[in-house]
Amino acid sequence: MAKNFDIDSHLPVTPAMFQILLALADGEKHGYAILKEAAQRTDDRVRLSAGTLYGNLARLESSGLIAESQKRPETRFDDERRRYYRLTEFGREVAVAEANRMDEALGQARAKKLFRKPRLA
Amino acid sequence: MSLSHRAFRALLGVLPGDFRENFGGEMEQVFEEQNRYLERRGRPMDFAKLWWEALTGIFRTAPREHWEILKHDVAYAIRMLQKSPWFSVTAILTLALGIGANTAIFSVVNSVLLRPLPYPQAQQLIFVRQEALKVGVDHVPFSVPEIMDYRARNHTLSSVAEYHGMSFTLFGHGDPERVRTGVVSANYFDLFGLQPLMGRTFIAADDEPGAPPVLVLSYDYWKNNLGGDPAIIGKTFEMNDKVHTVVGVLPPVPQYPDKVDLYMATPACPARSSKMHIENRDMRMMDVFGRMKPGVTLEQARADMAAIAGHLQAEYPKSYPENLGYGADASPLQQELTHSARTPILILLGAAVFVLLIACANVANLTLSRMARRERELSVRTALGAGRSRLLRQLLTESAILACAGGLLGLALAYESLHLLTTLAARLTPRAHEIRIDGGVLLFAIATAVGTSLIFGTVSAMFARANLSTGLKEGSTGAGVGLRRNRLRSALIVSQIAFSFMLLIGAGLLMRSLVKMQEVNPGFVPQRVLAMKLNFNWSKYTGKGAFEIVTNKVLEQVQTEPGVLSAAISSGYPLEPELVTDGPNSNTFQIQGRALATGETPPIASIASASPDYFKTLGIPLLSGRTFADTDDSKAPQVLIVSEQLKIVLWPNADPEGQKVSFDDGEHWATIVGVVGVVGDVREFGLDHAPVSEIYAPVAQTSNVGTLLVRTAMNPEGMSRRMREVIHHVDSQTAITQEMTIEQARRESLQVPRLTATLLGLFAGLALLIAAAGIGGIMALAVSQRVHEIGIRMALGAKQENILRMVLGQGAALAGLGILLGAVGALALTALVKSLLFEVTPTDPATFAGVAVVLAATAVLACYVPARRAARIDPVEALRCE
Repeated sequence: MAKNFDIDSHLPVTPAMFQILLALADGEKHGYAILKEAAQRTDDRVRLSAGTLYGNLARLESSGLIAESQKRPETRFDDERRRYYRLTEFGREVAVAEANRMDEALGQARAKKLFRKPRLA
Repeated sequence: MSLSHRAFRALLGVLPGDFRENFGGEMEQVFEEQNRYLERRGRPMDFAKLWWEALTGIFRTAPREHWEILKHDVAYAIRMLQKSPWFSVTAILTLALGIGANTAIFSVVNSVLLRPLPYPQAQQLIFVRQEALKVGVDHVPFSVPEIMDYRARNHTLSSVAEYHGMSFTLFGHGDPERVRTGVVSANYFDLFGLQPLMGRTFIAADDEPGAPPVLVLSYDYWKNNLGGDPAIIGKTFEMNDKVHTVVGVLPPVPQYPDKVDLYMATPACPARSSKMHIENRDMRMMDVFGRMKPGVTLEQARADMAAIAGHLQAEYPKSYPENLGYGADASPLQQELTHSARTPILILLGAAVFVLLIACANVANLTLSRMARRERELSVRTALGAGRSRLLRQLLTESAILACAGGLLGLALAYESLHLLTTLAARLTPRAHEIRIDGGVLLFAIATAVGTSLIFGTVSAMFARANLSTGLKEGSTGAGVGLRRNRLRSALIVSQIAFSFMLLIGAGLLMRSLVKMQEVNPGFVPQRVLAMKLNFNWSKYTGKGAFEIVTNKVLEQVQTEPGVLSAAISSGYPLEPELVTDGPNSNTFQIQGRALATGETPPIASIASASPDYFKTLGIPLLSGRTFADTDDSKAPQVLIVSEQLKIVLWPNADPEGQKVSFDDGEHWATIVGVVGVVGDVREFGLDHAPVSEIYAPVAQTSNVGTLLVRTAMNPEGMSRRMREVIHHVDSQTAITQEMTIEQARRESLQVPRLTATLLGLFAGLALLIAAAGIGGIMALAVSQRVHEIGIRMALGAKQENILRMVLGQGAALAGLGILLGAVGALALTALVKSLLFEVTPTDPATFAGVAVVLAATAVLACYVPARRAARIDPVEALRCE
């Protein structure tokens, strides 16, 4: 299938997908590592199940945002069933665009004083 | 492997195969790691949470993944189908015909045979009938005293209701109007569980002798003839010289046994309320319905009825002579209403299933040919990494799209053809107007489409499975697989021909039987005779001979009209639609001086009344004696004319003239002159119904005046207006309830066999067309696959005609095998249509031979085009190509 490399058409990225892109931002990881990294980074607030994770990995891979990495660690640390994923250049651009989009939204929310401190009684 | 791991692996089964192939192993591995991590933490609740997340995650992902694949497959399939439009259109049309035929017939099966009657606890409703089995009569109506007895003495029925249909003239609403009236006991509506739309139905007081006459209107009559008048309750109409008050209107429900305009309680019916009917056990006219008590089985009710019949016979030996084989029985109402429809409908359903099977075989064959052309595409896709399950799924999606399109088109075809089927069914069952395409039928159409796509989809998938590995090899037509594929194709063709043969035999037998019916001598000359059903205002003509004056007047005036060759008044006429539906009235009688031996059955005959010129008007030949004369009037002694059949049965070697016949146990021998003549047999009750023994009495002596018959010099329909004027000139209150030429009645009587034969013929024609296209197609494909081989043969000296003969021979061999198998199947199946055949045996050699010739000729013709192409192959070209 022809891939669509128009960044805007991939926005907004779903929260689960964004977490995966973030997890891969600092290097390639296998599925379980992605899942664990997301949980740790968010204090267990983001919990991806195997089903959700691989549904999203399939989608991200077919849209060219991530790719399977050919590099594998030493055999003794590895499980042959594992596959390693890396962020593609395009995936990075999409992740950045999504972060910018959220940043902009956040700026607007601040400008509107959405985050008022609770008044003292 | 731990239990939890195994459960997770099973759970992955809901994901698409491709997805599993891609990620299944990893997902299991992740799940294992999660488990290990939780084990280290040692918090049991976390396992429940993990499982919950796994379940929701997978069940959320699975539909999305399936949907993605489906979207992709559908788009791809549509692209592929567009690439071969000829294949797609042929396949869709073939399937549409198969699915459409089945859906249409199923809608009839569903509405008429399967759907329960639309009444509460309809399975409790039964039709009760009396029978005189020793004289071959299985439906004797009931008399009033009999109804009373069955009502009082039964132990199994919660209620017993009576019904008889009458036609009355209704005054008080514009012109006098003839209304079809159901005369019913007050509990009739309660028995069916019918609630009125407005007002009330009948109550017990309405059944009391002398009760004020009341009417309940049918929904259609109220809506169409009275404009749905919301204030109709309490309005009055005049019928039979009595004022009737409308007390209720029924909701729109199907009416059985007849569709009537209104219902009347029994005391208001002049015939039913007469002393003669109320007291005389032998005045039988009513139909009886019962509702079984909860928990009572049909067998118990039947035994109950039979027991009552036994007691009545013991108590009233005169009314139930030993030798008649009197008894009573009951059958479920639904069965009673649909039994004559069952066989034709099921035969048509069988035929439609055959058409569908042929259509499936054909589309499977088309698909196989197409697969042969797609070998490379599929192999390339496999080589590029498409999993086998992925490809199979793709192929099944293509089949499903074809079947869906075929199903939709088929549904439209079914909708369009429903009218034809309803026309047929209307002649066989009162349930015909309930036929419609409802949810059940839609479900059936969908199921058929799905089933169909599975059948031919599996064939292509089977092929793909066997063939994928060989496709990429250079120049491969997959010798081994190709052979197997050709064998499969040949088997499909043979089965198509065999099924077509069976259908053609069925249609052929029905056609031949229809022709025989059309050719049979009806015993009269049907051309140029107009028949008008007359209803005199009964209340005006009372006393003996009252009708004589008016009928004589009508006849006198009609006969003086220009263009009238002769005219008669009678009770009915041959092939009258009502007679064809109801069959003969069977009356037992006595012959003077001939006592019955114990156990001997009394003679029976159908009785008709006729004015002097009846036989001349209808062209019924007088075989001996004389016909009726004007002098055989109400004052003269009783005379009779018998049919040849009766003469043969009763007086085979003697002249029946002067024989005295009595219908009332010889109470009036003195006034009977007896038989004065013998006339030819007439097929009165259907062209396929052998003539019955008939006794004719002069119309003046019976007052049974129902029909005016006029034989005309020119087109009889042109005379009808003038005849109406003449009748109304004599008596303006006479209603003419039906008018048709006897030729029309004859055509009408053939309607059921004609429609059945036409439908079966249509199916057989479709089958033939599909099979011919199939065999032509496979031979064309075989030729195109064998260009090289044929080239070599020709290079080695084979002549054009050798090649032509070779290809035709192969086609003929397939056709021959199909015909042979079809003949075996037909011999096994034709017994099913036996009941619909007339003077044709189910194994009629002429039909078998004729069909075999037609089918063989069609097959050879279909093979001729590819055969000629084969014969014209240029060996040099063919060998160079290779």
